[in-house]
Parts: sequence; structure tokens; C-alpha cells
Amino acid sequence: MNTGPADTRSPHLDLEDLIAEVTGQPVNGRARAHLARCEHCRAEANRWDLVASGVRGLAAATPEAAPPAPARPTRLRVGPRRRTVLAAAAAALVVLGGAGYWATTALTRHAPSTVFTAVSGCAGLELAHGTLERVNGSLVIKTASGQPVTVTTTPSTKVSVAGALRSDITDGASVIALGPRSGGTIAAASVTVGLPPGPSSGPGALKVTPPPGWGVARGTVADAGTGGFTVVTSGGTRVPVTTSGGTSVVVPRASLGQLQASVATVAVGHAGPHRTLSAVLILQQPPGPLQVHIHVTTRGCSPASLADALATAFSGG
Amino acid sequence: MNDPHGDAVAATFTASHDDARDDAALLRRIGQGDEDAMAAFYREHGRVVLAQVQLVTGERVLAEEIVQDTMLAVWRGAGSFRGESSVRSWVIAIARRQTRDRLRSRRLRVVDDAFLADQPGSGPGPEVMALDRAELAEVMAAIRELASPHREVLGLVFGSGLSLPEAAGVLEIPVGTVKSRLTAARSALSRMLNEKGQNR
Repeated sequence: MNTGPADTRSPHLDLEDLIAEVTGQPVNGRARAHLARCEHCRAEANRWDLVASGVRGLAAATPEAAPPAPARPTRLRVGPRRRTVLAAAAAALVVLGGAGYWATTALTRHAPSTVFTAVSGCAGLELAHGTLERVNGSLVIKTASGQPVTVTTTPSTKVSVAGALRSDITDGASVIALGPRSGGTIAAASVTVGLPPGPSSGPGALKVTPPPGWGVARGTVADAGTGGFTVVTSGGTRVPVTTSGGTSVVVPRASLGQLQASVATVAVGHAGPHRTLSAVLILQQPPGPLQVHIHVTTRGCSPASLADALATAFSGG
Repeated sequence: MNDPHGDAVAATFTASHDDARDDAALLRRIGQGDEDAMAAFYREHGRVVLAQVQLVTGERVLAEEIVQDTMLAVWRGAGSFRGESSVRSWVIAIARRQTRDRLRSRRLRVVDDAFLADQPGSGPGPEVMALDRAELAEVMAAIRELASPHREVLGLVFGSGLSLPEAAGVLEIPVGTVKSRLTAARSALSRMLNEKGQNR
């Protein structure tokens, strides 16, 4: 930052600080404080953020390349260039924006030695996945390589959990139930709990497109019991919903206390020293046939952009 | 379960990235002829390298061939990695040399506009407003039309996630020149967006 008693240069952030802010690299406290109060620098950061998003958008649009031919390199040089496809796993792990957001592939496809997985569209963001453990009150993700990652949180960390959490379905809760419909009753495959009430159509409506033969009901829970509940829609319609052990209950705005040990967990955030990750987002979902996809669109990768995007996604807006 | 439709695109969480020690270990295994390590290396870095090369060349097929050559060079030269840079910047530097050689052999030059590229930006001007108004899709389209050195430096810093010193190492220029090239790239982008806006 160009400040100091003898410094006659611009009082604004220098390019390195702005780039660090945009790419999610560490920014010193003085620069961050300046950014918070300087409209000029925030505008500059936003402009760089847009440029960075454009580059990332192009990179994201780059199709997966055919992996190189297997390891006998001389075979690459025989005849015309070959693009032999190895049976390598696709690299795509998690997509923010326009595609499914859940780390099924992340949980199953990784280099054995990987501890952090970078977010190539968002430099500076890292992803850790593995099994959650609690060690002396701290959240620790034990990765597939066996190395632990200590996850730190802030009040703004978003937490989402899913699983057989039927006890979270209580009278008065706002829910979306989705599952096969028969005779007006929905056998819930998934129930999303805790989204704020919103319009059922028009701007701001949460659009859910059920598969053929499935139904969706959005409203407030009534008559919650062990075998099901009733959804009372905003129009007053009562839709009976049955639940079973196979019902996946999603709590998109969960608390840290709802995270369970020994469950597959993904944390996205900023890596720190000694295998720590300052989490922006923690997702937890046991393996199962129904994986929840939360779609998030974001214009950039700055903490502010991500926070806005995640807040929007998790508010159902 | 939100509807994904929207005009905002898209940070894509893609190629994985080990920490430096893991990457270096991977290279050691490649140097010993470990094919699985080579496949893992490709998964780690292939897509990022391809995106960078395609950004510079603007040609998908050529970019794929360059990535193939780059990975072949990694296979052959993994033992030469000295750990003086990150593995990511090392492999991108190899890709850059491969790109330069291929374009040179096609009698195309990517450095003709280097003078322009390294001129400092003129600072905020009317065209900055174009950037403030621009949509992401417009920015993406405009980036494709930038001069090669501009696309290259933007790709290294924002696409490949290299730090400014790492980008300087790959480009073999001082960090200060990386900064001025970034600024020049953004100015060119802004001018382009401004012109397109005026033509609408």
C-alpha cells in the first residue's frame, strides 16, 4: 500500500494489494482497512474482479483435455499425434454457477496425496474433503491421504448439512419436500428445512423441477410425526408428505453444532499455514443415492462476491 | 436446489492442486517412471495448462497438442525440477516455451505487440466507465480479442493463479513489468468494451 509519512505516491492501494484481494490471497490488515473506507479502491477492486472473472469464465469454458498417452512417451511420437484417452478421472470437482454443487466427485476422485484441492476458477480458494472429526473442540477433516486439515470458522461461515435428520422437521418449519407423488401424497426423497418463505412463482421464486411422477411441495410444516407431516402451502393447500429412513433432510443454513463427526465433509475456504483452512463454506452429506445440488452463481471470487453469492443461494433467493 | 439459471458465470472448481511437497513428490515419482504419478500430475495441472495455452493461442487443437508436448516434456524432464519455483509455475513455463516454439515454427510471432503491452496504463479514463457497465459475457468476449501478451499475463495471474513474482518468473520479466502489463491489459480491455458500447 502506498502510504507513509515520506511517501508522496498515491494514497490508494497498489496493484499488488488489489490483485491479492481479487485472487483471495492474504491481504494485510492495513490494506483491508483502507479498502473498507476507500470507495476508489473498492471500485478498482471490483473492476479487477470483473476482469478476473472473465479470465476464469474462459478457463471454465475450456473443455477437459484428453489426457496424454500412457507413460511410454515414445508412443506419443509414432505417426500422427495421438490423443489417447486414459481412464483418468475427470478433474472437474465442484462447480459454482450453473452446475451441480455437491462434492460427490470430490469425495471420490482425487489424487491420493491431495490435501487441498484448488479452485482453479477462484485462485486462493481451496477445498478440503474427507471425514470430519472433532479434536479438542476443533473441526478437523481427515483427508483421504490420512493427513488432517484443521478447519477454522468465522461467524460468516456457511454450514450446510444433510442426512437422515428427520428430527429437524418440526411444526412451523419452512420446508420444501420433493419425492414421488401418489394420490396427492408425496413420499419424500428429500426435505429441505429452513428456507425462508418465498413466493411460489414469479421473481424470487425458488424453481424446483421434479422428475416425472414426482411432486414438490413448499410451505410450512404441520402435524409433524415419525411417519411424515403436512405441508401447508402459502395458498393454504395441505399436502401430505411421508418420510422414511431413506428421506434425505437438508438443512442449508445449519449451525456448527449440527455438524456430525465421522461424516463425509467438504470445506471451502482459504488455506493457512500448518494445514489449516479458514472456511467460507462447510458442507456435510453422507453418501447416498440422492445427492443434493445447490446451485450458486457468482460474479467473482472475492470474499465479498462469494459471500453475496452464498447468501443468495442459501436464502433461496 | 436453487435454479441455476442466471447470467453470472462461473467459477469452476477444477483441477486439483497439491501443496508444494506433494507436487514435488509427484514429480519425483514421475522421474522414476511412475505412470500413475504422470496421470495424477495431468489431473492436477492439465486443465489449467490447457486453459492458459488456449487463452494465448486461441486455438483448441493447437493448444491440446502443446499440452501433449508439455506433458511429454514433464515426463522426460521431471528429474530436472529443482524446487526453485512452484510446480504449477514450472509446468506453465514449459508450456509457454512449447507455445513459443510452435508459434515460431508457424512464423507467427506473439511478441510483436510487446511494446504496446508494457506501456503503463493511462489511469482511469472514460473507458473505465465501460468496465463498470460491462457484463461478464462481454468481458469474456473482449478478453479473447486482446493481444496475446495481454491474454497471457491475465491468464497467468487470474486463470492459473500464479502470484505476481511467479508470473514474472514464467514470463522472464521483472515484477514491475508484470504489473504494467496487467494494467495495460485492463486498459486495452476497457477501451475495447468502450468501443463496443459506442457501436451498439
